[in-house]
Amino acid sequence: MGQDRTVPGAFVNPALATVLLVLLAAVLLTLPLLPALRELRIKRDAAPLVVIQQYAGEIRHFAHGFRHHIEGLLGPLQQCIALGTTATGTLGPSDEYVLLGRNDNASLIRAGKMNGSTCSLMVAIGPDMALPGGLTFLKEVYAAGILVGGEGVTYRAVLGERDIHLERASKVMRWAHAVGRFRADHDCDLYGRVSSDQEIMLQSGCMFQRLNAPCIAMPCASATLDDAVSPAAGASNNRQIPERPLSRKLIVDDFEIRSGEVITGNIVTRGKLRIGAGARVLGSVKSNKEMVVEAGVAVEGSLISAATMHIGPGCEIHGPVIAERGMVIESGTQCGSAQTPTTVSSPIIDVEEGSLFFGTLWARDEGRVVPRG
Amino acid sequence: MISILFGVVTMITIYTVRHYIFTLNRLFGFQRHPYIDTDTADWPNVTVLVAAHNEEKVVSHILVALMAVSYPEDRLVVIPVNDRSSDGTREIIDRFAQAYPGRIRAFHREGGKGGKAAALKDAMALVETEVILIFDADYIPGSGLIKQLVAPFFDPEVGGVMGRVVPLNVQSNLLTRLLDLERSGGYQVDQQARMNLRLVPQHGGTVAGVRLSALREIGGWNDNSLTEDTDLTFRLLLAGWQTVYQNRSECYEEVPETWSARIRQIMRWAKGHNQALGNYGMQLLFGKHLATWRERVDGFLLLGVYAMAPITVVGWFLALAVFYQGTNPLHGVIAMMSFAAYAATGNFAAFFEIAAAAKLDSTRQRICLLPFLALGFLVSILAVSRAVVSQMMAPVTGAQFHWDKTERFRAPS
Repeated sequence: MGQDRTVPGAFVNPALATVLLVLLAAVLLTLPLLPALRELRIKRDAAPLVVIQQYAGEIRHFAHGFRHHIEGLLGPLQQCIALGTTATGTLGPSDEYVLLGRNDNASLIRAGKMNGSTCSLMVAIGPDMALPGGLTFLKEVYAAGILVGGEGVTYRAVLGERDIHLERASKVMRWAHAVGRFRADHDCDLYGRVSSDQEIMLQSGCMFQRLNAPCIAMPCASATLDDAVSPAAGASNNRQIPERPLSRKLIVDDFEIRSGEVITGNIVTRGKLRIGAGARVLGSVKSNKEMVVEAGVAVEGSLISAATMHIGPGCEIHGPVIAERGMVIESGTQCGSAQTPTTVSSPIIDVEEGSLFFGTLWARDEGRVVPRG
Repeated sequence: MISILFGVVTMITIYTVRHYIFTLNRLFGFQRHPYIDTDTADWPNVTVLVAAHNEEKVVSHILVALMAVSYPEDRLVVIPVNDRSSDGTREIIDRFAQAYPGRIRAFHREGGKGGKAAALKDAMALVETEVILIFDADYIPGSGLIKQLVAPFFDPEVGGVMGRVVPLNVQSNLLTRLLDLERSGGYQVDQQARMNLRLVPQHGGTVAGVRLSALREIGGWNDNSLTEDTDLTFRLLLAGWQTVYQNRSECYEEVPETWSARIRQIMRWAKGHNQALGNYGMQLLFGKHLATWRERVDGFLLLGVYAMAPITVVGWFLALAVFYQGTNPLHGVIAMMSFAAYAATGNFAAFFEIAAAAKLDSTRQRICLLPFLALGFLVSILAVSRAVVSQMMAPVTGAQFHWDKTERFRAPS
């Protein structure tokens, strides 16, 4: 420094300049370490990442948690039922509630702190009850008896100890669970989780995300649930379950299983796959591109597509059905069985009226029940 | 010399680009979790192998956890594989086998070849199920983990499954916190990006599963391998079986708490990985087999990860030498190469990846520790380089591969 005489030597002590340079370099090097040293010492974020050890992905998790939360209200609710009265109070620090002991909408509107058609209290209903249409519940609804929700009612979450029936254009924002049957009429929007310990029935126009029940039916307009539950392809009683493990056939191109063909073993294609009408696969099938399953196909194992999947009418699939991009399921198709429930999952699922599922139907983004044809 | 340096920096740049592709994919790309929603199924019979060599401090924890998982009891058998333990592991396992008859079947190995692969190979005599899961003894599986790891096997293309490893003893010291960050980057970004891009997610040999028929097809466990997981990944790939990664199938593990234990661990990984590179590298890249071109390229780069450490060290020395050579007609190129090398050795690409992982994990303050990772990388690069040198010298020195068990730090229950 200063060797070219641009800086007068009198002002610069070479030793001091070197020390200053070293110090400056040290400070610059240390600077990024200061937050690191602070974090190392204070340990603000040193806990292990949260892995919920006890949570097994159970769809009823929130319903069980809510039931546990309101356990203390069940006794008073029984008293309200016995006396035919209404009660209000606060659960915990801030959960205001209303207990309805009789099927009386006027009591709900009077005691429920209604702001127009919006109820801001948690509601626990004792007897069977039919709610009027157009209401919005900002907190959970608990029904000890049968609950029939009027048209256009919006629920944050609802737990029914018996049947739940949502009339046309209702909405569930977070979850719903029925110990009995769950039924949603046309054009309902079911966000989050809907489960039943018996069965779920959705009419056309319904939107859903995650459904779980021993039986999930999308009945045709004129059909009853019992009609819907009858086996689609009629082959359930004729199942030929091969002994495992099955051989695997790997095909690097597109592939087609011919109509009526019977194949034993697992099929994997790197290309597209078409399964011809009436074919039967005693094994599992995977395609890495688009998969088309024509009418009346039976698959004993799973059906997996790394792209989209179209399942034609009257098919019967016994194992899990997974499509990574999207899925269409036509009328009369049955996935799983009462004895061996299964999962059907894809980000987007269009299910035609008249299809039947046993177990889980899970559309991460959006599922829709669409009219037949 | 300059052409060698150019080659080194080219390789480093390839890995830098790879890091960025993975990170950007995780931040902005389509995320594949195709099997995670499978919560209802006709669940198959499963065997869980728990590799245990002198694991008295931890083995009871995993057995307790496995007895509490959400999986049909009559379809789950746990086989703790006691591999020549000289501590109290045998007694603990026997106690559990008595307490859970039929659900825990003890397997005691008295002699034979060392190493996890050899122990698993011997234990296969007891395995009767198509789906096999493997855990090291220091892991603590959560309630839903078994179903999550089994679900991908409904896909007939899947031969292996890998879950995410999450360090439990993070708070212990600087090393454990750095390893926590490294694991986060490795799983949350690297592995999931490979899954998203249909590349080669790596089987990790723990929190993992393998299909019995696939394993038999490729000839079973390779007991000559120091890292049976890497070996398995590539043999499955060459035979047309997929290994899939389940990022949401998380499991706690214990990471090394001393630098010496960490250095031994990474040296073993490096030797095993390089062994696999020698065994399968050329075959993977140029051979006739069922892997796609993407899998060939990514698989080869994955195999070369540990070979890059000594190459980087060589690059550093060459860069210094070039600098002190004085006048250089390629100074502009050298400057660019130096920048790329700087980026690749941890200051940008890998740091970016780990920071992205921390963001994806919704953790905030631990990112502050990133500058310390330079220390971790330096130790790793030197340890791996040492391992590579000793491996290359082995034919001359006559040194034999041996399997170093990772020390445990948890207090026994």
